Amino acid sequence: MGQVLFIVWRESVEALLVVGILYAWLNNGDAAARRGLPYLWAGVAAGIVMALALGAALLGFSELLSGDAQTYFQIAMVLIAAVLIVQMVFWMRKHGRTLKKDMESSLQANTQSGNWWGVFLLVALAIAREGSETAVFLYGIGMGQQDASTGALVFAGVLGFALAFLTFYLLQLGGKVFSWRRFFQVTEIILLLLASGLMLTGVEKLVDLLMESSDWFGSLDIMSSLMAPLWDTSGVLDDSSTVGSLVATLTGYRAHPPLMSVAIYVIYWLVVFFALGKSSKAPVQKAA
Amino acid sequence: MSLRQTYQAKCAAGLFGLLCALSATVSFGSDLLTFKLEMQDGKFIPPRIEVPAGQRIKIEVHNIGKTAAEFESVELRKEKVLAPGAQSFVVIAPLRPGEYKFFDDFHLNMPQGVIVAK
Repeated sequence: MGQVLFIVWRESVEALLVVGILYAWLNNGDAAARRGLPYLWAGVAAGIVMALALGAALLGFSELLSGDAQTYFQIAMVLIAAVLIVQMVFWMRKHGRTLKKDMESSLQANTQSGNWWGVFLLVALAIAREGSETAVFLYGIGMGQQDASTGALVFAGVLGFALAFLTFYLLQLGGKVFSWRRFFQVTEIILLLLASGLMLTGVEKLVDLLMESSDWFGSLDIMSSLMAPLWDTSGVLDDSSTVGSLVATLTGYRAHPPLMSVAIYVIYWLVVFFALGKSSKAPVQKAA
Repeated sequence: MSLRQTYQAKCAAGLFGLLCALSATVSFGSDLLTFKLEMQDGKFIPPRIEVPAGQRIKIEVHNIGKTAAEFESVELRKEKVLAPGAQSFVVIAPLRPGEYKFFDDFHLNMPQGVIVAK
């Protein structure tokens, strides 16, 4: 029963982090930012519909995700989500300067509302990805006759969702308790970490696909050196363990990272830091 | 605004293009060395799979349990969701000799399985 509770929470928490942080950002913003909220809720609705459709496909009700299609789809979804998250953080940085500070004089912010479809898509993707797995998982529970009574399992599932919504609520609370600046900094890091994990997973799967599908590519010497693990930290935190796999999802942690993954990770953060430095200088130049 | 959106659209289109090209070049060789793995409500049958190193292999995963299963290995970068009764496969790129853990992400309290490459 604890398993059910934990899995439902874990499968929802990634999506709720994205939705919760975006909601806090937009809701705490000026009138122009709040105009993005309908897009966010529309994204939630579209995400749930997509999750159910994907879940049905995974259950075999349609041929949509048969064979390797599941892998292609996963790769596309994680990479697009990663790009959208990073882009959202940068957009928020630029736009966030006007939030809170001058709530009144937000008329000029009208012109900056081009990002709402990004909000919509990001939220929809986050919910569709994780929600489809939750749907299959819960379907399995509904079908399976287990030791515990079905009622207890349904209860555990509901409790898992409740726990996830508590996470969402805590995020909103955090936006009120801490200073806006602090809250923004922390949530920005959470999102960038999440995006790094998505990016890594996506690229790793893409390279894996190449190595699987082409003998020539798979037998290249350079590939075997790129894929050889650089170190082993499974003694400290095993990424196959319950906690470890959660950390891996949320931060891109790997216990046996191949050279390629380390390189992608380093490049990702270098690019992000470089661009963040640049973006914090940009408005000053504009103002001057 | 529109520039950024165009850029996003291009990214997405590029990605799908790449994936399509990939799927076109994939040779679903039936000649691949294939191993069978059954998952039953968190139990792996067999829990240990010995495979030759340095060779592409295919693992056919069959969920014979009553609950959903997710074959996952962080080390091998694989995840596959399987509804009760569902069957699928994963192809694994040539492995270096060693042990690679896998687990059922929907039954984390159960013992893990291991692929041993020799």
